[in-house]
Amino acid sequence: MTAVLEIQGLRKTYRARGGPRRALDGFEMYVEAGQVHGFLGPNGSGKTTTLRTLLGLIKPDSGEMRILGHELPRLLPEVVGQVGAIVESPQFFGHFTARDTLSLLADAGNLPQSRVDWALELVGLRERAKERVKTYSLGMKQRLAVASALLKQPKLLILDEPANGLDPGGIREMRDMMATLSAGGMTVVLSSHILGEIQLICDSVTIISLGRRVAAGPVAEVLQAHSSGQLRVALETPADLSAAAQVLVAGGFDLKANEDHLLMSGVDKPALVARLLAERQLYVSELTPVTADLEDVFLELTGTAPVPGQVRSVDQSVRPELTPQNGVGA
Amino acid sequence: MSLVRAERRRFFKRRLTRWLVPIGILLLTGIATALFFVHSKPTAEARAAAEVRAEQAYQQELGYFEQYKAECEKHNNGQPCQGPGRENFPVENFMPPSFDFKGMFQPLLLIWASIIGMIAFVLGATFIGAEWASGSMMNLLTWRPKRMSVLGTKLTVLLGSVTAIALTTLALWTAALWATGVYRGTTDGLTSGVWQSFGLSALRGLALILAFAVLGFGLASIGRHTGLALGVALGVVIVGQIGLRIVLELAGVKFADQYLVPMHIFAWMDKEAVLQDWSGAVSCDQNGCNAPEMVLTWQGSGSIALGVIAVVLVLAFWQMRRRDIS
Repeated sequence: MTAVLEIQGLRKTYRARGGPRRALDGFEMYVEAGQVHGFLGPNGSGKTTTLRTLLGLIKPDSGEMRILGHELPRLLPEVVGQVGAIVESPQFFGHFTARDTLSLLADAGNLPQSRVDWALELVGLRERAKERVKTYSLGMKQRLAVASALLKQPKLLILDEPANGLDPGGIREMRDMMATLSAGGMTVVLSSHILGEIQLICDSVTIISLGRRVAAGPVAEVLQAHSSGQLRVALETPADLSAAAQVLVAGGFDLKANEDHLLMSGVDKPALVARLLAERQLYVSELTPVTADLEDVFLELTGTAPVPGQVRSVDQSVRPELTPQNGVGA
Repeated sequence: MSLVRAERRRFFKRRLTRWLVPIGILLLTGIATALFFVHSKPTAEARAAAEVRAEQAYQQELGYFEQYKAECEKHNNGQPCQGPGRENFPVENFMPPSFDFKGMFQPLLLIWASIIGMIAFVLGATFIGAEWASGSMMNLLTWRPKRMSVLGTKLTVLLGSVTAIALTTLALWTAALWATGVYRGTTDGLTSGVWQSFGLSALRGLALILAFAVLGFGLASIGRHTGLALGVALGVVIVGQIGLRIVLELAGVKFADQYLVPMHIFAWMDKEAVLQDWSGAVSCDQNGCNAPEMVLTWQGSGSIALGVIAVVLVLAFWQMRRRDIS
């Protein structure tokens, strides 16, 4: 497939009072055409810096970027008409109506005014389009922001926290909209902290920590690569757990015995476990692979899982070594 | 052109534009109305009454002179003292004020230029400052990533829009003063040369207004917030003008007014401003006293303003090009 977005070796250092701070440190990212791609990272990991650098708002120290094959930032003016973006929560003039806001943007982008109603309809704001933006709720402002990004009918849509402030219904609508847009051929890059949503919506993800990529690839592959391979085993008769544990240990398995189940590690073929136990008249009632979800993987890779009794600083996360292994599909 | 259209629409849709421009027109209307009612047309009755008052004043002064004539001659070593002349009491001095359009139009342009100039400063500062503060500028740059072109277009639209406002209000101001001249004074003596001179003065007024707009825009661009422009304006007025005047006077600096902005504005609008140093070598003779003079010309004051504007604009465009937008 064609890469719509390519970033290689992106570096950006901010000058700060406490000394230089590396926001991006050799970051890499690839997004293929037609995908919904999740862009994840803890606070301060460099997500927004990456998106702003892509959009020409921040000048990188070094690195290569391409959108739709156009080298950035040199050719950004040529490709910007095909890129719709919202970065963080854009603010609008409170005394302008939603229609005015989009109409002015359409003028600025030399787009037909008919797009305004189309975009308002798409985000469900058409009925409230004549109201001033200052009367809007956070969720409505967020919808307006998405509408402003969709106005260009872009090939690449970059959304930074689009679900921020949306109610559950709004989040589901946003999810459906992403699926529809993607099905229509639009590539969507989605930055969000709602990892459950990312797992549901996205085809692929990139996870960033302290300015470096820690994982990337199709969601299923990332989950698989970082799943523990554990197996939960329960028996029809809990009293047989101890006997079952002995059988399995004798069979060369690692396990941990719990009160009502066994937790096995490194099991390639769960059927082997069932057969081994059945041969000893020990019958399983549950044989479930323990799968990691995106939140588990994220917390593990970024090292940001909360530790009871400790307060984590925003800069306390994992910075991976720069090796060829943390390339795509790591 | 599409960005020009969008920015022009935005400029005139802004709440501040919709409030400040009518407020400016209201202020000018109030002043024009006051000018209209404090002046009156010279009538035969008014002239007759003025002649009576002039004669009364002359006679009263003559009476005072006769009363103190002996004492005056005593102090004058017996030489005769000269009494008041009748010609010193012209009837015109006793007429109710009449509006002379030819003589009043140019000085009154300063009022128009000052009011619209202040409005232009605030509009210029908020036009870009509010965009930066609200994040709309960042949003716009994701549509139009050519930063210099965006800032240049915004400045051009601002200058065009302020010019339209300035010319509209100038037309209203001229019409109001013309009406005052017609109904409460005179519009005589308006030769083509006079109109040409009026035109040049109005152009200088327009340039002053545009200079204020550019300064507001440039300062707010540098600070990426309206507050910086308004803060600098407040600082210039309080520290740079009131404070500076006090310090310069305490230090006994000659021609201290040359360092004050209002004097340069006067020089610009009136073509020159004459400063006198009464602390210096003052010479007196029969005709009065003379102090050393310094003349501020409109060319000199204009050059200083142009230099300041150039520095502010260069800084604004340079930082627009260089600084990250975060």
